[in-house]
Amino acid sequence: MTGGHGIEFSGVGVTFSAPDREVVAVIDVTQTIPDRTFVSIVGPSGCGKSTLLSVVAGLQRPTEGEVRIGGVPVRGPNPAVGLVFQEDSTLPWRTVTDNVRFALQMAGVSRAEQRSRAADAIELVGLTGFENAYPHALSGGMRQRVALARTLAAQPSVVLMDEPFAALDQQTRLLLGGEVLRIWSQTHQTVLFITHDISEAILLSQQVWVMSYRPGTIIDVIDVDLPADRDPAIVSTPAFNVLQNRVWESLRAESMRGFAQEERTGQGTGG
Amino acid sequence: MTTTAERRVPVRRSRRGSSEALYSTIATAGLLVLLVVVLQIGSVSGWWRSAILPAPSDVAVSAWHLFGTGQFWADVGRTTFEIAVSLLIGLSLGLLLALGFWKAPFLGRVLEPYLMAFYAVPLVLFYPVMIVVVGINAWAVIVLASVMALIPMAVNCWVGLAGIPPVYLKLARSVRCSPFQTLWRIALPAAAPFIMAGLRLGTVYALIGAIAMEFTTAQAGMGYRIRYLYEYYSTVEMYAYITVVLVVSMVLTGALVAAERAILARRGSR
Amino acid sequence: MTAVQASAPVRPPRRRTVRRWRGAVPVGSVVVAALAVLVWHICSGLTFVIPSPAATVRALVRDLGDPGYLQHLQYTLVGSFWAFVIAVAIGLALGLLLGGSRWASVIFEPLLVALNGVPKIVIYPILLPIFTLGLGSKIAMGALFALFPVMTNVTTGVRSIPAVYWKLARSVNCTRTQTLLHIVLPALRRPLLTGLRLAVSLALVGVVLGEFFATRFGLGRVVLQAYSVGNYADMMGSIILLIAISFVISLVLWAFERRVR
Repeated sequence: MTGGHGIEFSGVGVTFSAPDREVVAVIDVTQTIPDRTFVSIVGPSGCGKSTLLSVVAGLQRPTEGEVRIGGVPVRGPNPAVGLVFQEDSTLPWRTVTDNVRFALQMAGVSRAEQRSRAADAIELVGLTGFENAYPHALSGGMRQRVALARTLAAQPSVVLMDEPFAALDQQTRLLLGGEVLRIWSQTHQTVLFITHDISEAILLSQQVWVMSYRPGTIIDVIDVDLPADRDPAIVSTPAFNVLQNRVWESLRAESMRGFAQEERTGQGTGG
Repeated sequence: MTTTAERRVPVRRSRRGSSEALYSTIATAGLLVLLVVVLQIGSVSGWWRSAILPAPSDVAVSAWHLFGTGQFWADVGRTTFEIAVSLLIGLSLGLLLALGFWKAPFLGRVLEPYLMAFYAVPLVLFYPVMIVVVGINAWAVIVLASVMALIPMAVNCWVGLAGIPPVYLKLARSVRCSPFQTLWRIALPAAAPFIMAGLRLGTVYALIGAIAMEFTTAQAGMGYRIRYLYEYYSTVEMYAYITVVLVVSMVLTGALVAAERAILARRGSR
Repeated sequence: MTAVQASAPVRPPRRRTVRRWRGAVPVGSVVVAALAVLVWHICSGLTFVIPSPAATVRALVRDLGDPGYLQHLQYTLVGSFWAFVIAVAIGLALGLLLGGSRWASVIFEPLLVALNGVPKIVIYPILLPIFTLGLGSKIAMGALFALFPVMTNVTTGVRSIPAVYWKLARSVNCTRTQTLLHIVLPALRRPLLTGLRLAVSLALVGVVLGEFFATRFGLGRVVLQAYSVGNYADMMGSIILLIAISFVISLVLWAFERRVR
């Protein structure tokens, strides 16, 4: 058992059935994310990382086992759980403020509180001055900040991020990684962060899980014993390098296996 | 006007700057004035017989008198009633149908060939059948005009709904939107550009169809009156009616296009 | 559809999940058609004004054996053909002009867009004295109906040509004619085909509506005459024939359009 809002996976498996075949996306995941801990999952593309995250979010029902948040089994979307998507999920017909207060509005929070919480979240992600802009006027990185602010405005105890920076360029990724680090040091939620970028995973997390190619399961858990108040400059330190090699060792075999598999079946699947 | 390629056009235009919009307005006004002037000079100086093409000044005077007659307003009322009822029925049924297709794609697949066929089929030709069945009255026009409004509305809304980025719906689920919230706060706004296009096309089709049907055979309405006046050689009055129909329908089309562009411009090119 | 087609109708969405019902969809569509005919049959039993499907087909077959009827049919088809040809020529020229020249579009586009939404039938009394009471005014009406979808599709088609094509043309020093023949027209073939497909049924509607009055020939007159003497089976047969003609031509063009890449 974990206190607060830790996440426990016990024997989680997800199998997708099509009429002609079955695909085992995730199999036998039994792990724990302690309360107020930042955990990243890295894995080759198509390994079921996103499926596992959907299970935690309550958007996908596991076919085996269960996930518990704060000891309570996940049955569906939970207001205490915030989600940041890989795709651009800002709504083009709403201004930044209206996007950020979306979840609050849906939950029936009072208008005044929507406004003040949205303003706080916008300030937290560094979008002050863009409150009334429409998403099309913002860059991809700024739109992802809007999505992050929307999640934070709901004040979740658990934040799930599904490759939130995957569509962005390298510089923006680093910058936003730094932002996430800074924000987490203030808010300290339980975070599950999905990525295929090893250095991003190490930079942000206290623990990195390596996931195998399909059927996906956790094959390695690496504690990141770097200082808690790190900043992006840490990527050039020897300690960081050691960790990076360590994760890469675990991941390499799986990536090769996944690569070979996709070559053989001739299909490329998204994460 | 709803393929992605077409949707980009207005945005590109608007970026070209407001000076071009101004030139456009000036040029349009200029062309209209030029047309009126040429018609006036031509008919006054006898380039053609004014019985065929009367002077705009005469038409304007006639129109001014028309506005004081009960007959004119009765015709306007009849046509407006037909179109309004057709739009109410056609557009709302079209949207409902699209929602049904979106939720039950199999239904959409089965009916798709017929929806597309209606684009190719001259529905107006069913009008004689309609007046046989329903009688020569407003409802014969309304039934067909409703179908004319329904089809573009249904097809456009269906395309818009089916094209909603899946992440918007995932977002709706993750923040636990009710079905009504998902529809009202996510699905309809996300499909709004297509819904607007459907509204525009449906309105234009219903308008054009209703007046064409009145023109064919009816007992009242703008289309009917134009034909009636033609057959009684009341040329000047006929031109007054034609001018009213042209002006009203052009203004209506212009307003719908402008509304659509405003929605698209606010969203940028996405 | 009826009198004007503002532009290409959007295609219903295709989804991968639909593959599952590949077999069931055509069956469902046929069932819907059969149901429609059945409903028609039942309705025809309820009131004498609706001819039954069988009576309609019998009337149509009898009419098609009548040389006089075939002359009316020919009159309508010839009129529609010329209306179509003229509409395509004018629509293509206007479309290229609006799409290719910024100034032409600034000056003329608002008016042309607005005209697109106008019930063109009301102009028919103006066309009649200009183009004579014979075939001329019907062709003019049909052409007026049909030219707008060609124009709007070509205009948007020209504007959607990727900028890199224009750059390519300039980089290899194409002349204006070369650019038109080797870049613009090939890039336009799909929107142009869409415009043609929509123009077919509109040209036919324009001509037939024109034949609804002030004429002695054409299927439009046949329909109206059958209506006025209460011969509803003949009326229905002619309407079905007209609709079938425009439907089949559109279907062929659509199939062709879908194969063009």
